[in-house]
Amino acid sequence: MVGEKRRSTSKNLAKNKKRKGPHLPNSILKTIANEKRPLNSDEEDDEIDSDDANVDLYEYEEGVPEEESRKNNRYDPVVNYDYELPEDFEDENVESDDDDEGGNSDNEEGEGDVVRHTRMLQAVTGMPSAAFDGESKRKPVLFTEAYPESEFNPTRDVLEGKGLLTIDDFMAPIEGKPGFNDLQKRISRMQKDTQAVVHAPLPKPERERLERKAVKGLVDKEFNKWVHMVKRNREAPTVYFNQNVSLGYSTVGAIASEFQPRTDFEKKMASVLNDNELGEAHDEDGAKLLELNEVSVEDHIKYRDHIAKMRSLLFRHELKSKRIKKIKSKTYHRLKGKDLKKSAMGALMDPEMAKEEAMKQEARRVEERMTLKHKNTGKWAKRMISRGLNVKYDGTRAAISEQLQINATLSRKMNSTNDGSSSDESDDEEELNDGSDQDTPSKLIAKAREKTLKTVEDDEVPNSGLLSLPFMARAMKKKNEEAIEEAKRALEEYEEWENSGGEENSKKTADVSGRRVFGATAKVEAPKESRKDSDNFYDNSDSDNDMEGIENNDLRAVRDTASPVRNTGAITETEKFDDDIENPASKTTFDVALFASGSWKKMKGCQNAETKKKTKKHVPYSKSQDKKESRDEESEDSESEAEQMVDGILTSASKETYEIPSQAELIQRAFAGDDVVDEFEKEKQEVLNQEVPEPEKPVLVPGWGQWTNIQKKRGLPSWMVREHEDAKKKRTLDLKTRKDARLRHVIISEKVDKKAEKLHTTTLPFPYTSKEVFEHSMRMPIGPEFNPATIVGSLNRPEVVKKAGVIIKPLKFEEANPNEKVDDEHPRSNQKQNPKKGGKTGKGQRKGKSKQKTKA
Amino acid sequence: MELSSEDNNLTEKFLPPIEQESDVELETKVKKYLRGEGANLETLKDKKLKTQLASREKLYGKSAKTAAKIEKWLLPAEAGYLETDGLEKTWRVKQTDIANEVDLLSSRNQYDIVLPDFGPYKLDFTASGRHMIAGGRKGHLALVDMMSMNLIKEIQVKETVRDVAFLHNEQFFAAAQKKYAYIYGRDGTELHCLKERGPVARLRFLKNHFLLASVNKSGQLHYQDVTYGGMVASIRTGKGRTDVMEVNPYNGVVALGHSGGTVTMWKPTSQAPLVQMQCHPGPVSSVAFHPNGHLMATSGKERKLKIWDLRKFEEIQTIHGFHAKTLSFSQKGLLAAGTGSFVQILGDSSGSSSSHNYSRYMNHSMVKGYQIEKLMFRPYEDVIGIGHSMGWSSILIPGSGEPNFDSWVANPFETSKQRREKEVHLLLDKLPPETIMLDPSKIGAMKPSRRKEKPSRGEIEAEKEVAIEAAKSTELKKKTKGRNKPSKRTKKKKEMVENAKRTFPEQGHNNTASKKRRIGEDAAAELPASLKRFARKN
Repeated sequence: MVGEKRRSTSKNLAKNKKRKGPHLPNSILKTIANEKRPLNSDEEDDEIDSDDANVDLYEYEEGVPEEESRKNNRYDPVVNYDYELPEDFEDENVESDDDDEGGNSDNEEGEGDVVRHTRMLQAVTGMPSAAFDGESKRKPVLFTEAYPESEFNPTRDVLEGKGLLTIDDFMAPIEGKPGFNDLQKRISRMQKDTQAVVHAPLPKPERERLERKAVKGLVDKEFNKWVHMVKRNREAPTVYFNQNVSLGYSTVGAIASEFQPRTDFEKKMASVLNDNELGEAHDEDGAKLLELNEVSVEDHIKYRDHIAKMRSLLFRHELKSKRIKKIKSKTYHRLKGKDLKKSAMGALMDPEMAKEEAMKQEARRVEERMTLKHKNTGKWAKRMISRGLNVKYDGTRAAISEQLQINATLSRKMNSTNDGSSSDESDDEEELNDGSDQDTPSKLIAKAREKTLKTVEDDEVPNSGLLSLPFMARAMKKKNEEAIEEAKRALEEYEEWENSGGEENSKKTADVSGRRVFGATAKVEAPKESRKDSDNFYDNSDSDNDMEGIENNDLRAVRDTASPVRNTGAITETEKFDDDIENPASKTTFDVALFASGSWKKMKGCQNAETKKKTKKHVPYSKSQDKKESRDEESEDSESEAEQMVDGILTSASKETYEIPSQAELIQRAFAGDDVVDEFEKEKQEVLNQEVPEPEKPVLVPGWGQWTNIQKKRGLPSWMVREHEDAKKKRTLDLKTRKDARLRHVIISEKVDKKAEKLHTTTLPFPYTSKEVFEHSMRMPIGPEFNPATIVGSLNRPEVVKKAGVIIKPLKFEEANPNEKVDDEHPRSNQKQNPKKGGKTGKGQRKGKSKQKTKA
Repeated sequence: MELSSEDNNLTEKFLPPIEQESDVELETKVKKYLRGEGANLETLKDKKLKTQLASREKLYGKSAKTAAKIEKWLLPAEAGYLETDGLEKTWRVKQTDIANEVDLLSSRNQYDIVLPDFGPYKLDFTASGRHMIAGGRKGHLALVDMMSMNLIKEIQVKETVRDVAFLHNEQFFAAAQKKYAYIYGRDGTELHCLKERGPVARLRFLKNHFLLASVNKSGQLHYQDVTYGGMVASIRTGKGRTDVMEVNPYNGVVALGHSGGTVTMWKPTSQAPLVQMQCHPGPVSSVAFHPNGHLMATSGKERKLKIWDLRKFEEIQTIHGFHAKTLSFSQKGLLAAGTGSFVQILGDSSGSSSSHNYSRYMNHSMVKGYQIEKLMFRPYEDVIGIGHSMGWSSILIPGSGEPNFDSWVANPFETSKQRREKEVHLLLDKLPPETIMLDPSKIGAMKPSRRKEKPSRGEIEAEKEVAIEAAKSTELKKKTKGRNKPSKRTKKKKEMVENAKRTFPEQGHNNTASKKRRIGEDAAAELPASLKRFARKN
């Protein structure tokens, strides 16, 4: 009906457009028309009819000449409206009983409308009402046809869709014919059905708006019932899913019992497994089983073929290995050996083997370095080189270079097995070697002895870990003793060797370098004795018993080792052991006097270092000895000690007596309090200047802005001054906001500690939006150490609690209970889920029912 | 182990006030366990967050309440104290009077060890109070088990010993000797010689950080990590020689007292002092920290003792006419001050935790001529150890020690197995040196805003140049015939350079404007106009 009204008014508008006079813009007119239209008028049918009448009437009453309307051709003539035609078609079906009434009412309504309409137009446009009078007093236009009516020139009615044929027209001819009544009935029924007239649809946006409005209400209602659940879930600290869902079977047996064979294979297996005959046979005796265990011919053949194949393969392999065994090629075996070695290297990772290997390598190296076998010192090589044949022939050159290569590999040091110090020593020795090659055997001996010594010395019992356990310690001790015995023997051997070889050496050295030899033996004796004396102090502690021997040995050995050094390096040392014992306080002053004069000044640094190293070895002993000794003779010692150490005041005096302050300090102390406050203030100012630096004063660049006198007088540009002022202001502000701004006696550094920055967060963690709240929430520790056990669980519960393997189903609707409070203590299941049971639906249903009950 | 015998006929009573646990009391306890106020959630706009935080706060409240209720079972013993009738004054009570009233075990803690030969003694207790190391000036080091009064080990280093300190347990101790500091094992073996520090004047061990802090004669402060031996920090204080050094147990900040009357506080990660305070006009003679870290006591040679609030760095009390050579706070907040042969114990009479008013609590005078070198309260006992020129002594101070020990923190009855386990735990819980800061509760909070947040002008310019260079050197693609003209290419290149320049904003103009903008507004400004209303407002 709304559409109906609208149609009429829009038609009016169409008429308007043909008329002259003041016109509003089209859009305004349209809206005005829309405004005018009442939304709910009841008599739709009437209006429709009256409308028809009106239109006709208007056509006749239109008083405006056609030319004029044409002349005033501002608007496109509107031929047709979209929703006119279908409307009219429907209209035909409607029977119009009360034409006049509808028309009247429409007119009356129209009158009222018109008045209102003009008033409104007046208000909108500001024009006198007279201007709009034409609108209301419009007359229907009379169209006169120019051509006679024919099928080529249809009447206006026909063109406009009026005066069309109706069903009645069609019905009239067949009246009285058989089946007419039937048809009549059907048609009347049809007409009744179409009683409700389908009107023109609303414009799309409007229609959609209405739809939305309607839908919104519904949806709101639908959604609102979920709100409480959503709210609860959002606010819950923890969401629980499927708390009491049984996950099915827990044991393999239970799963297996439910197993149903599905695939062919499974079925086959099942048939065999469940075969009664087989079971019986198994139960009764094995003989029947054998009967059942038939092997088919094909299987047998297959098996036989397989065996044959394997045998032939084996045979071939044998042949191959035989052939390989026969090969006599050197290169082949060398390559093979290499491979083997490579694989053996893996085995060498075992430390024992590695050590052995290293030892071997060391021996080979020594031999190589002694003999220089591969350094082309042989007859052949010398000849080749002297004659220049090595350059001439590739083969010779290759052979010689190979020899050199071998030499290089052999004489290469193995650093990995030896420790640093020994390698150092060997370095030293190498240097020595350069000087005097002839000494090598004695050097070797010395080296070997040193090594043994070192190993003996290194045998310290660790005081922690596995090795400190008593039985381990005992075993270690035993081992040590054995090792020491061995070492002793070795050392003796070395000595013998040296006595025999050293003499020669000394002779040799004398021959070669003409260095003097000192009678070192006498000098060495004395310290040895003293050392022995000192060892007596150990007797009270039984644990040191076995160490004693070692020490003696060590010391002797070290002394002895020192002697050859003296021989070669010409260094004399006197060690004041006696002094040491007498003056135990000086533990670090283990004096080593090196007499080096005249020709011996050339001694090599390495030797010097070596001797020093040796002497240093004694220091720990002397130290510990000192302590022990002091224990024994404390009473005597302490007196002398006290006199030595402190500035000699035993009386109970204040601490100042112990440290004599410096003159400056004394003065400062005396005049303390004079200007400390001022000083502090100065210091504070300094710190402030450092932390909040003063802004730089604006400086004029010479020549800049000084072209004229006026410019010069003007001084600094204003922006510079402003900037400076701003910086100053900022500084004062910064100073004011400092923590120590008001505390005159305090300087609090506000330097940012970069290292500590990683202990702070740069951004707020997710849910928090304010710093204060976050920092307040951080104040409480949530660990078990800080909270009662009853609360720790709920403090640390994760956001979602869910059993593994449970499918999370979508939220189910639950009735809201406004009075219900969210109870964190008792986990609430968000979704009830029935346990999955394959075929047993009954059980599930029962469970579901029971749950519903609980829900209610 | 607690002095808590009831005697009503005499003046002093060591009463554990067993009262009905009133609501008020429970409330105070709850407050203690709540560790401060919750945030004001009303300011939050996010409803979800608000409810979640509210529920969290509720849990905290519950936790605190439960803890408070459990407390009486977990902390059964109450601290003792001296109570006087009428005109009696607590400071008139002599040690002999106390000895008459206390049980045998406690009375065993009153003794004098006279060792006249080895000069004034320095003392240190382990955290549990079970062991004590005494270092005589003249080289006598003695490790004593205080429970059984056994001498575990005694060594004579025959050198000046300036200070002694336990490391994390009684297995190791450090001694500052004439030339170097040394670390010794429990059995007196020398384990390390700390040569790097020079002649050390004072040694302190930061047990949470495993740092051995020392100040040497030339006023250098060293921090050495004892777990791996590395020198964490070596700081020149620049204030001259000092032998006043104390560690704030709350945050691990080391305080040094200087001759100019200043107290400086240090941390290993900064070369400049955290705080410098002008405490006295004359030299500072000693410093001590309250165990809760909020109070500091200093004494100057001008015969004044001052108590400072370290949260505000304000002086809260001055006690005149008293120059303390050594100061020590007990676990319960008693302050001991020793000068000459006189020990004075000051007690906090105000009773509340917010305001402090220290006044005389007890006195003790040693034999005339004894010079007190070091005072130290024994943890978990009502005992103070006095190291003096003629040995060391121990007297009873009721109410000084924490009555209940936490075996997870410090266990006086520790077995060796427990000790080992504890050691491992301590090592696992070791704090890195950068966690030492004035307010350790700030750890984990938002990063404090830096004063100089922006890169400097030079840096920006350098960056800009690099970007421009990059733009210039980019190879242009070969385009189709019409678009590959040289003019077009140069134009395009220019454009790229302009773009590169544009990414670096003009300096100097928008500085002030941007600073005024707050964070939230910043976010809003970045959004297009249509989305601005969705910007989060805090």
